[in-house]
Amino acid sequence: MSPDTVQRRVVHIISQLVPVKPEAIKPEHRLREDLGMDSVASMELLSMLAEELELDVGVEDVADVHTVGATVALAEAFLAKKKVA
Amino acid sequence: MSALPPIPTDEVAGPLCAEVTRFASRAIDARAIDQAAAIPRAVLEGLAELGLFGLTLPESHGGAGCGLRTACQVVSELARFDRSVAVTVGLHLGLGTRGLVAYGTPQQQERYLPELALGQRIAAFATTEPQAGSDLSALSTRALETDDGALLVNGRKVFVTNGGLAGLYTLAVATPGLGGRERGQSLVLVERTDAGLTVEAEEWKLGLKGSSTTGLVLEDVRLPASRLLGEPGWAAKSLAHILSWGRTLMSAGCVGTARAALDKVHVQVAHRRQFGKPLAALEVVREQVASLEALTFGMAALVDEVARADDEVLLGRSLAAKVFSSEGAWRVVDGAIQLHGGLGFIEDTGLALMLRDVRVTRIFEGANDVLLSHLGAGELTRAAERAPLSKVVGVAMAGVAAKADEVAAQVEATRQALLSRFRVGVFRQPRWMHQLGAACCWREAVDAAVRRADASGRTEDVARASLLTLQAKSEVARLVHEPVPRDLVEVALSDTLPLPEVRP
Repeated sequence: MSPDTVQRRVVHIISQLVPVKPEAIKPEHRLREDLGMDSVASMELLSMLAEELELDVGVEDVADVHTVGATVALAEAFLAKKKVA
Repeated sequence: MSALPPIPTDEVAGPLCAEVTRFASRAIDARAIDQAAAIPRAVLEGLAELGLFGLTLPESHGGAGCGLRTACQVVSELARFDRSVAVTVGLHLGLGTRGLVAYGTPQQQERYLPELALGQRIAAFATTEPQAGSDLSALSTRALETDDGALLVNGRKVFVTNGGLAGLYTLAVATPGLGGRERGQSLVLVERTDAGLTVEAEEWKLGLKGSSTTGLVLEDVRLPASRLLGEPGWAAKSLAHILSWGRTLMSAGCVGTARAALDKVHVQVAHRRQFGKPLAALEVVREQVASLEALTFGMAALVDEVARADDEVLLGRSLAAKVFSSEGAWRVVDGAIQLHGGLGFIEDTGLALMLRDVRVTRIFEGANDVLLSHLGAGELTRAAERAPLSKVVGVAMAGVAAKADEVAAQVEATRQALLSRFRVGVFRQPRWMHQLGAACCWREAVDAAVRRADASGRTEDVARASLLTLQAKSEVARLVHEPVPRDLVEVALSDTLPLPEVRP
């Protein structure tokens, strides 16, 4: 899966959770401060992403994920890990 | 006078509550209010004369400048006499005016707060719509920016508490484009006299009949931009704070209702004789009364702790206080009716009214099932940071605190097990989050009860905290079990309620 595709999926999920249009969501946006997601919404985002991409992600793995870009990077890292496995 | 020990009050609330008690004893007739489905004008004027409508409003604008704790104590006391009156005042102090106090511009505060403090203008708050309840993103009432920078509001709000009394409404509305957020929501201030606003007829309800509940219809209501409250497009940020105040004040009302029901129980079981002796001499009755007292003790302790908490703690713990106190008050009033036998079913006793009044508290200010899921999800995201109570309480409380620690350990073990089993996907397990949320409520109440009993040092309080802990152990043990199999649920519903297709 290309980085662009991963980013599109992340942005699509975020747009389902917060009142922001997909085209307005940027990698540098912070989930909490810029997008208004509370900690539970952030976890729901990561949970939806893990389910959609079939990734085995633990809550401890996402503790430092605070931006859209970091979410994409996390998904890419776990996809790469999955590919190796 | 309540037979239970009074809730500890601060230096402002103590004398004020005494005044409230004197006034309410003389002026508030709960049954008459229920039958008339309205609070007499003289009662509202009396409450205003006591300064209750300005209790938490800033002194600079004619209020008393008190905090949430004092307001909770007053609302709890009012609820002992009539829940409709308590809701009217509590809603004004919480959801009705909190946004204006916390986020209003100096101009907005100058314009509205003096009249609100005097009770010359009552405040209301409206988010719920025919098709939108807890989900803000589903709001269909819209405020669209016009070419000259004003806002044009159209839509309908329902179940607006204080709707028929209010002179000022804080509305949550969709504001597409405002604040750079295409799908944002904002809070706006709407005055009763704004052209295009229609206040609908009073709803006929199961309980809280004296409390005004109406719909609002907004047809091309034109507001200047200065009516926006808080950050445009980000209502969720200010709503979190406003709702936590509203929930906590409502919880305080539940404590008052439970205490009023217990007062009636004490009189009933002392005087009613069965099998040649007073009910109060029967072991089964004594155990039931003690159980209700323990529950009420836990509710009061939790609400009081939450009302004193700083904002960040208040946001989370007010959920637990709301759920625990509303479910608790329902149980206590139901138990009180049971202890009255057939008499409890008769309106003259006053308990039937309490039961009808308290029922909605499990629904409004956030339906308990929704809040429990939020609580459970919040528990899963937070780092475990609870210090064992057994290490901080006095010797007399050590045994009870150790049991409370066992309750907390069981909740924590469940949390860890869920994280390990489902990984981040646990946030897609609504039934588990719901159950974990309910278990958290018990832990929070038990912890608060133990700390309060430790602080008071009263033997009776220690026993009540201990009884509550025993109840909690049994409840939490039930809650940490696997949810019923989903397949079984679906088969059972297959011929009555097939799972509907859900489109995003």
